[in-house]
Amino acid sequence: MLLFAICLRRRLTLQCSKPQQNYSVTPKPPTLEPEVETMANFSIATVFIASFSLLLSLTHSFSIENPTDRRILVLLDDLALKSSHSIFFNSLQARGFELDFKLSDDPKIALQRYGQHLYDGLILFAPATERFGGSLDLAAILDFVDSGKDLIVAADENASDLIRSIAAECGVDFDEDPSAVVIDHGSYAVSETEGDHTLIAADDFIRSDVLLGSAKIEAPVLFKGIGHSLNPSNSLVLKVLSASPSAYSANPKSKLSTPPSLSGSSISLVSVVQARNNARVLFSGSLDLFSNKFFKSPVQKAGSSNKYAKSGNQQFVTELSKWVFHERGHLKAVNVKHHRVGETDEPSIYRINDDLEYLVEIYEWSGSNWEPYVADDVQVQFYMMSPYVLKTMSTDKKGLYHASFKVPDVYGVFQFKVEYQRLGYTSLSLAKQIPVRPFRHNEYERFIPTAFPYYGASFSTMAGFFIFSFVYLHSKVYLQ
Amino acid sequence: MGKSPTTKDDAQALFHSLRSAYSATPTNLKIIDLYVVFAVFIALIQVVYMAVVGSFPFNSFLSGVLSCVGTAVLAVCLRIQVNKENKEFKDLPPEHAFADFVLCNLVLHLVIMNFLG
Repeated sequence: MLLFAICLRRRLTLQCSKPQQNYSVTPKPPTLEPEVETMANFSIATVFIASFSLLLSLTHSFSIENPTDRRILVLLDDLALKSSHSIFFNSLQARGFELDFKLSDDPKIALQRYGQHLYDGLILFAPATERFGGSLDLAAILDFVDSGKDLIVAADENASDLIRSIAAECGVDFDEDPSAVVIDHGSYAVSETEGDHTLIAADDFIRSDVLLGSAKIEAPVLFKGIGHSLNPSNSLVLKVLSASPSAYSANPKSKLSTPPSLSGSSISLVSVVQARNNARVLFSGSLDLFSNKFFKSPVQKAGSSNKYAKSGNQQFVTELSKWVFHERGHLKAVNVKHHRVGETDEPSIYRINDDLEYLVEIYEWSGSNWEPYVADDVQVQFYMMSPYVLKTMSTDKKGLYHASFKVPDVYGVFQFKVEYQRLGYTSLSLAKQIPVRPFRHNEYERFIPTAFPYYGASFSTMAGFFIFSFVYLHSKVYLQ
Repeated sequence: MGKSPTTKDDAQALFHSLRSAYSATPTNLKIIDLYVVFAVFIALIQVVYMAVVGSFPFNSFLSGVLSCVGTAVLAVCLRIQVNKENKEFKDLPPEHAFADFVLCNLVLHLVIMNFLG
């Protein structure tokens, strides 16, 4: 592009420069006349603007601001998974995602080329893979998540160490025993074939409309695989589907010699991680959870007489994948404004005891466009080492949040802080610094009412002085 | 009466002797004493007011108290210089002392007015 521009300028000069006179001794370099110069500059400028905007539009298509077509890499152990899990993959493609299926040991796998990411999401349906092909390894996958992209990982009873270590890096600890699966004699799925109660009907969902959608999942979810536990002090991982209190993780073929390390509701069957950079990761202990067979089969939980014609798997997986790929619960806050009540422009400094108003717009991505986010618990703080003012903002239901309050009686450098962290939503952390000054000398009242006794005392001593000097000079002793 | 003198009798005797001695002072000194008492009284009122209300315009409080204390001090200086029993200022004409008093008071009140806010 640059060379083209330079050649263009050169060609213009050669065409339009005056012919050299024969009597000149030294050859003069071709100089541009003023109007030719401006024309050359103008054409170069248009070339630069065109190339810059082209580059800009290219980068925008991969960013979260405009995710209209997203590319997802799907790594499979076995290409038969493409057809045995086709309902799930077709639903993703129907929502506008471009799926790229590859075998996990394909040597041409690459997530990045020349520093630019080729995919916006990664699905790992390859539980038994020890090593990925190409340039993909544990560090590359963690890098992918660190750059803000989403990940779905499914494991099952022959999960490799690689999958387990990916999960461990994200805060999810699969059971260390490689042959253990989740067994539940209390809430297994009633079926005529399997009798070892490793096929579980789970219905202990996390209570969150943003994670699982507003429609309640009526039927239990079928699950067959390994369980994992989460560190309770980790605030970034959430248990989406927990096992019932009667579940435990052990090898079904051998006798149980010691109490199992994972048991009860602390076993998580499906969990999600929302990282601090808002990348979302889903860990499932069962690959069959996503399969067509489980989507279509009827389910009956042991001990209950409700028979459901269709399990809750499809609804559960679809709603959760919507959350993982940011079609729900992704917030953005734009247009932070503040001004004194009655004015419109933003001052650079406030005075103590001023009345001011703070405005921010918050939108939620709905999968196709930004919808206004409506909530009644967004708060703004006026903060200097500790919040002096904490106010809940009111909304006009179109995404605009506002709060008005009085600047406190303390001067210094404050910040308008909005810290919004709710389960399942991306975290909003806005801070805008603003100084606050004390009263200027002429901004106080001219005569302070509290000080009237002091004014009175000073004037009375002055009067006393006059009266005293008058009396003293006219006293009999002095005049004698 | 055969009773030994009690403390109450002593105090009364002391008080009477003070009063009789004081009535012997010249009138102009008594006027100055009255002026000093007035200034101290005003200062006390201001301190009590500040203790009740708080020291918000602290500069006004200081200005008021300084005016009272300053006038009291200047009046005491005048009394010292004018008192005929004082050997040190025997040669100082009382007009000189009074003129000093007036000029110092002018300066004092100028400062007070500026600091009053």
